[in-house]
Amino acid sequence: MKRCASAVAIAVAILIDGQADTLSFDFEDPRGVSNVAFSLDAPLESIQGTAKGLSGSVNVDPTDLTTATGRIAVATKSLVVPNPLMRMHLLSKDWLNARSNPQITFEIRRVAGVRKKGANTSEVVVTGAFSLNGITKEIIAKADIIYMPGRLAESSNGKFQGDLLVVRSDFKIRRSDFRVRPGEFLDKVSDEIALSVNIIGAAQKL
Amino acid sequence: MKSAGSNKVVPLLRALAVLSAVAVIACWLSLGAHMGWSQTRVPAYKTDPITETTFTDYENRFLPGLDFLGAGLLGAAAIFALTLLIPRSRGEKLQ
Repeated sequence: MKRCASAVAIAVAILIDGQADTLSFDFEDPRGVSNVAFSLDAPLESIQGTAKGLSGSVNVDPTDLTTATGRIAVATKSLVVPNPLMRMHLLSKDWLNARSNPQITFEIRRVAGVRKKGANTSEVVVTGAFSLNGITKEIIAKADIIYMPGRLAESSNGKFQGDLLVVRSDFKIRRSDFRVRPGEFLDKVSDEIALSVNIIGAAQKL
Repeated sequence: MKSAGSNKVVPLLRALAVLSAVAVIACWLSLGAHMGWSQTRVPAYKTDPITETTFTDYENRFLPGLDFLGAGLLGAAAIFALTLLIPRSRGEKLQ
């Protein structure tokens, strides 16, 4: 009986200890640094833009990145291209339909292939569900994860104490996969869209 | 009276066409001679010193592109073309 109680106590201690290492990183960025840049390179036209309306959170033990779970969302209406008419078309019903699909999301399903690149920098392979225009597809992408313990104070002018998690990833999607005018206007709007993700999450410590 | 007015309109319109074309070209050149579409938000690339993350900020200003240049020159050409439609001989006969 005593042995059983000890085993339970150890198990609970391990569990509590494990939970204590998991941090919740909030990816809403009031400083406006986090961004997702997109680029389309068609034969007749090249389009570059960014999206900044980020939200969502990731729970992860920074010492074991395979534990990561969470969801990142980008507000569709936060997509900006320099030409106002082009932006109006992009958000319209015929293209991204921002009114019906207000968010573009990525939900982490699995993190694997962790490769250390530095003391707090690792390269990982993330598998997740990418949703755009109401269609969800599985995406596999390489990402660099930079854990910055104790750096939240600097980025919040000393208001908060905590850690930062920087996620950088470059990957490509096809608009035809997400039923965004598939096969149309390919000379001006390429099918392939290159995405460059540079986002920062903050885990506040009390 | 009428013929004298018509005679003055042609050189005036032609001067206006040339001035418009020059003004459009000067405006396009002085504001950056941008080779793409006109922009109302101009990207400015910045780097966050803490995370070394590069990000784009947009300045709300007008950057004329090739569409602006094309439309301006087309307008000037239209004004010039209009002067070719004004009959000169009619004015001379009325005198």
